[in-house]
Amino acid sequence: MKFLSELTKGIIKDNPIFVLVLGVCPTLAVSTSVKNAIGMGFAATFVLVCSNMIISLIKGFTPPKIRIPVYIVVIASFVSIVDMMMAAYIPDLHKNLGLFIPLIVVNCIILGRAEAFASKNNLINSLADGVGMGLGFTLALMVIATIREILGAGTWLGIPVIPASFEFKPILVAILAPGAFITLGFLMALVNLIKERK
Amino acid sequence: MGYVGEIFVMAMTAIFINNFVLAKFLGLCPYLGVSKKLDSAFGMGMAVIFVMTLASAITFLIRSYLLLEYELGYLQTIAFILTIAALVQFVEMVIQKNAPALYKSLGVFLPLITTNCAVLGVAILNTEAKLSSGSDYRFIDAVLNGFFSGIGFTVVLLAMAGIRERLELVDIPKSMRGMPIALILAGIMALAFYGFMGFKI
Amino acid sequence: MMYYIKLSAILFLICAVAAGILAYVNGITDPRIRKIQEEKETATRAELIPEADFPEVKGTLDTTFVYQRAIDKKSGELKGYTFVASRSGYSSVIKTMVGVDTLFNVIAIRVIDQKETPGLGANCTAEKFTDQFKERDISRLVLDKDGGGEGAVVSIAGSTITTRAITSSIRITLEKLQAEIKAAQGGEQ
Repeated sequence: MKFLSELTKGIIKDNPIFVLVLGVCPTLAVSTSVKNAIGMGFAATFVLVCSNMIISLIKGFTPPKIRIPVYIVVIASFVSIVDMMMAAYIPDLHKNLGLFIPLIVVNCIILGRAEAFASKNNLINSLADGVGMGLGFTLALMVIATIREILGAGTWLGIPVIPASFEFKPILVAILAPGAFITLGFLMALVNLIKERK
Repeated sequence: MGYVGEIFVMAMTAIFINNFVLAKFLGLCPYLGVSKKLDSAFGMGMAVIFVMTLASAITFLIRSYLLLEYELGYLQTIAFILTIAALVQFVEMVIQKNAPALYKSLGVFLPLITTNCAVLGVAILNTEAKLSSGSDYRFIDAVLNGFFSGIGFTVVLLAMAGIRERLELVDIPKSMRGMPIALILAGIMALAFYGFMGFKI
Repeated sequence: MMYYIKLSAILFLICAVAAGILAYVNGITDPRIRKIQEEKETATRAELIPEADFPEVKGTLDTTFVYQRAIDKKSGELKGYTFVASRSGYSSVIKTMVGVDTLFNVIAIRVIDQKETPGLGANCTAEKFTDQFKERDISRLVLDKDGGGEGAVVSIAGSTITTRAITSSIRITLEKLQAEIKAAQGGEQ
């Protein structure tokens, strides 16, 4: 039963973006389109799951004094692997995400989960935590990207969704930096509002 | 355009036109987290300028004399982040020993900087950036770019803290308090910074 | 003391394992990344100057400068040159591949790498913008905003910095190419 609750908590209750407010930088930077959001979400999930598992495995013989550097090495290795794999097999997406792939290293979600969860829990639960948090991150990214892509370009995953008869002029600012901040701001307010009502 | 002009362009680009926080989305965690009070924002800003400048210098040397020399480019991410982590730890120890007063004001912010993506970001961007002549950055350019990017970060952090201090006194809907209104503010600030975009320099 | 040596040893061991794994992954992916890049460049070159082979030439004046001679596949005649011009735009380095004929008039250009603002600067890849470079000689590679007057390159609204970077990088690199070719021909005579 614990496994299931670890898996689902990241999706809504402890959503890394809306509730824990971790990893805001990549969230805002790559949510310009749903495609980028999915790519980034899965790249981060992969790193999160792998590093959570490895850290949980080696927690027994990592001296506490050097645990942070060890975590960083583990995370950075997986990030480099993802970086190289994406460059080799999905070069277009890799180019779009650009700088933010190596920057997964400093994504607070990953180091945060390593320190707060994987270093204290067993392999299975760490795996569940990684998957759940990763999915929560991906979902949040997709929600933001959906709003921004529809408003800013009138498309979803590149498919036009607004009928031509509507004469919709894309609101360019939604794709630009200010749109990112404002969208996330209102979404967080909405999450707060729902919590209050409960 | 002489080298002074080049530096001026670099400074204006890093601080206003292509601000690290508002245009590149780097360093948002401290930007949102440490901007509640002006004096702590100032401390954080100073610490970031200091570490960014040093990190730009050291990562540049590591890249050109170790990674590229021995064709180890694929170790770049791991080498950079370890360097930055070690650097931050080292700076913390030195300041603690030699300048206790400074440590008191900066100390708490230093550990946070390791996971500030702006520092790793500037180190990676320095490897890709080009001068207006089209050539790669040299050592001095990388250091200056790190320094100006740090200043750009500090400028918007201070502006944000100034606004948020006043915001404390304002009656806003309960669900908008804290992070949501800070994000919306950041959005309005980013809009304002778009005004710098068309400048001819 | 022993304790610290032990700590460093553990850290070093972990780093060594990580480096080993990365070296292995790099060994697999690196050739593929290079191949994709090369294929892409060749395809773009063929779009600019069709029906030609592109042997690469290194500059003699500036040894870091590389350009390609476009040799006709059938007749073996020199049809022109291709090269890559790059310069910092608004938010990224913009790389443009340029094909010119033997008189250094631009045949066509393609923006091959940019991360400019979506909706504004990123429009520089559109044909509407790149097509206006066709048949320009070096004296006409000027932006309207920079006093180019009639017939100048029309910049994209709201993206002057992007368009200026492209136009001037092509002009500067083309000058470089002319100097190189002159030097190379001077050597032959």
